[in-house]
Amino acid sequence: MAKTGLASRLYAGEAGLDVIGRRKLWFGVAGALILIAVLSFALRGFTLGIEFAGGNSFQVPASVGTLDDAERTVDAALASTAAGAEVVTAQKVGGTGGDFYEMRTSQLTAEQANAAKTEMARAFGIQPDQISGNQVSEAWGSQVTSRALLGLVIFIALVTVYLVLRFEWRMAVAAVSSLFMNLILTAGIYSLVGFEVTPSTIIGFLTILGFALYDVVVVFDKVQENTRGITANNNQTYGEAANLAINQSLMRSLNTSVVALLPVGGLLFIGAGLLGAGTLKDLGLVLFVGMAVAFLTSILLATPLLVLLKNYDLRIQAHNKRVLARRGALAGGETTPKGTPRPAADGDEPVDADAALAGATPKVGARPAGKRSTGARGGRPAGGGGNRPGGAKRR
Amino acid sequence: MRPGRQLAVLGFIFVVLYLLVFFSGGASGGFKDRLEPRLGLDLVGGTRLTLEATNSLDGKPPTAENLEEARQIIESRVNAYGVAEAEVVTEGNRNIVISLPGENRDLTDVGSAAELRFRKVLKAADGSGAAAAPAPTPTPAPSGTASPAPSGSAKPSGSASPSGAKATASPSAGGQGGGAPAPSASASGFAVAERRRAVAERQRRAGAAGRRGAAQGRRAEGRRRRVAGRQRPAGPGRPDRRPVAGREAQAVRHAHAARGRRAAGEMQFTVPTITCAQLDKRPPASIKDEKQKAVACEDGVQKYLLDVAKVLGTDVGDANAVLDQTSSWVVSLDFKGDGQEKWTNLTREAFNNEGQACDQTALGQDGKCRVAVVLDNKVVSSPEIQGVLTGDSQITGSFDNKTASALASQLRYGALPVTFEAQEQQNVTATLGASHLRAGLLAAGIGMLLVIIYSFFYYRLLGSVIFLSLVLSALLVFGALIVLGRQIGFTLTLAGIAGMIVSLGVAADSFVIYFERLKDEIREGRSPRSAVPRAWIRARRTIISANAITILSAVVLYIVSVGAVKGFAFALGLATVLDLVVVFLFRHPIMTMFARTRAFLSPRVSGLGRILPPARSEQATRTSRVKEA
Repeated sequence: MAKTGLASRLYAGEAGLDVIGRRKLWFGVAGALILIAVLSFALRGFTLGIEFAGGNSFQVPASVGTLDDAERTVDAALASTAAGAEVVTAQKVGGTGGDFYEMRTSQLTAEQANAAKTEMARAFGIQPDQISGNQVSEAWGSQVTSRALLGLVIFIALVTVYLVLRFEWRMAVAAVSSLFMNLILTAGIYSLVGFEVTPSTIIGFLTILGFALYDVVVVFDKVQENTRGITANNNQTYGEAANLAINQSLMRSLNTSVVALLPVGGLLFIGAGLLGAGTLKDLGLVLFVGMAVAFLTSILLATPLLVLLKNYDLRIQAHNKRVLARRGALAGGETTPKGTPRPAADGDEPVDADAALAGATPKVGARPAGKRSTGARGGRPAGGGGNRPGGAKRR
Repeated sequence: MRPGRQLAVLGFIFVVLYLLVFFSGGASGGFKDRLEPRLGLDLVGGTRLTLEATNSLDGKPPTAENLEEARQIIESRVNAYGVAEAEVVTEGNRNIVISLPGENRDLTDVGSAAELRFRKVLKAADGSGAAAAPAPTPTPAPSGTASPAPSGSAKPSGSASPSGAKATASPSAGGQGGGAPAPSASASGFAVAERRRAVAERQRRAGAAGRRGAAQGRRAEGRRRRVAGRQRPAGPGRPDRRPVAGREAQAVRHAHAARGRRAAGEMQFTVPTITCAQLDKRPPASIKDEKQKAVACEDGVQKYLLDVAKVLGTDVGDANAVLDQTSSWVVSLDFKGDGQEKWTNLTREAFNNEGQACDQTALGQDGKCRVAVVLDNKVVSSPEIQGVLTGDSQITGSFDNKTASALASQLRYGALPVTFEAQEQQNVTATLGASHLRAGLLAAGIGMLLVIIYSFFYYRLLGSVIFLSLVLSALLVFGALIVLGRQIGFTLTLAGIAGMIVSLGVAADSFVIYFERLKDEIREGRSPRSAVPRAWIRARRTIISANAITILSAVVLYIVSVGAVKGFAFALGLATVLDLVVVFLFRHPIMTMFARTRAFLSPRVSGLGRILPPARSEQATRTSRVKEA
């Protein structure tokens, strides 16, 4: 087995990556990144698009030429009178009062607007009073943002309840924390790099919500399966079982992420490459960043966090001790364990990496499920497991 | 369920969906037209209407809060389901600009104030105005004929001035809307006074036939001056670009409205020459004050004197357009807790005709009082109260589907805090246009191609299952888009197209979960045939939990949020539900059928081969594992 390459071991779900054992590293990295992200929110803030800020509009008679020409001229006029101002949308408006072009621009002060108007009139060769200007409110009002945030809060509350019912409270806490980290890290990347935040970005951001949890649910599902009735035998600690679950579901997570990222990559490619900017790029970018972060957090943060929480559970603690004691006894006997155990990095639960590695431990919950569902249930101590809140879950 | 039956259900869904696409209400035109989803402002352009605030109390522009509140109400009116991708923004300090996708949409109803009042009918009279000219002319009959009728001392002036004001208001309102630069503020105040004098002059001329008429005209002028004087301070401080005529008309209307509120509506009722045509032309909200009696007309014929309003539009909890038993359209009303009590009290009062408040002329056939449903300044209907109503009620009237729905949505989303006047309706072109639409579709194509290449590379023959399901999902989504576009105005913007592309990718995820499960099972040493149902049972659990979370997020966001986020949440939920449909009704049965074929059993073809160890027999797998342990 050791001879096969990483790719095929991944394919077979036997990559044997030690994720749980290095959890202090992941937590440290995540903590540092979150610190950076929060600092960036405070110090740099976000680059908001004009949809959030409102702007100005100018009406230019359609007699000045084509829409594209008019847009270019207005852009030039704006550039010369107000630094950083630009045309955001240009539309032709037709009615009985004659056609005109309407240009929505970024926000200008009254003086800037007047200067821009004069400059436009000069460039078009028309009278300044033929151009009318006005302030326009933001299309995406603050209400939209506040209600979206309210929705986010309600969603997180409900999804926590759902996860508690579907899994258990520790998994719910781990999943929701990793969701938060996901959102903070994604927002942090936006803040740090200075990508512009537009309504499309917000919408893409909300899409990540579901996706991040999707990944976590896939992994936790496997963890739950592997650790069902774990206390009934002394073969592996909770951490090892979880690590095995990660390795087994790694390919699945990788695949789901790749499959979801491919169309997003297509969007990004077309949006940024062909059109330069706009909705497609904004949406593609936030989804790409968010989904990539979601993949990493579901593997590197959610499960280690779950193991951390689980290790505070007295029953799991006792179980881990028992497993380690048994292993120690075996090691003390004539059988030498394969490979040297890693130096214990964590205080309360030294992980025997090799045991988890090669799939040496029986795959709990993976094999003879038909019989085991009753067998394991009977064999468990009363009220045991602790990870199966509901009754008839397996059907 | 047998696989055949599931596929049949899917086929049935398809047939129904596409029958709806081609033949449901609203489907028209050729084959291609019927296959066109509704596209957003950014892709195809649309219709725009500017509403200008005409605050009836004074000349000041509405406060920013009021304007924003009005904007939000209008937004919920045009975009009730949040999926229509309408754009509603405020412009300057008194305009609201509404843009809806699609050319030549009718937006005229959107900006009306829709103040709903329930008032008891106290007196009724003929208001068809046989004596007065129904069409407003600059030199109306009023003062000449009006003067002889009244006897009380207060009445003559009261009657003359509203009608005089009316006469000036209507023609000038017609000539408004040019867009000329604003006159200076002081000039406008002056213009109002000037205009009034001219009106009085005209009245004097009209009433020259009788001395009494002339004298009254003079007296009336005095009164009007005072009104104008009161109005004047309001004139300055309205920096807008209204044309002179429009500004005057507005000021006159303000004067009229202010006076109408002060002098109780009774005078308008007693003077027979104030016709319904004139009353109906009052600006919206001129009889808004619920503490005043009012005069209003029904069908432009019946003129009523109405009691103070005891139940208001804000007491209405919900309103819907429904067909009643006689299959005519009515608006059903549902009152809020507090409002229900008020409504019950009002109906009791009317049913018992307490204090004989209702005049003989105003009683219904059974001798009970009638209660008028007053919308803005017109009586929509005035049913006789047949009993004390403790439950929901209906507004009947000559509605059709469209008008009933319009009224219901106006009632549901409340009255605007500001009165608006609609300007000309315009067509606007797309902000992004066809090139972006093409780019979006190209991106969709590339994305799908990548997913399909990947799945064929990774899962080989199973990739064809993914390919077929993606095609199916795409067709389902497309059909649903068209049908929903017609039924609830679901509109696809470029962002929506991007969202659909992403959702197709996420839909492919559930395949990965399933197939990886299948690999697990085969690695455990099962034959593909027995692995398929087992993998399905386990994958189903994961897929349902994961999709349940997505649906949860969509539902919460749809309910809570407003604007673009609402539309997004709808699309997300739709895509996820359709994904589940495809998973359950297509993928599972097709996999069951696949598992029976010989090709599937050959691991090399199915893409499951690589996970089998070289020995390739179940027994060998077992032993190798045991050895490892």
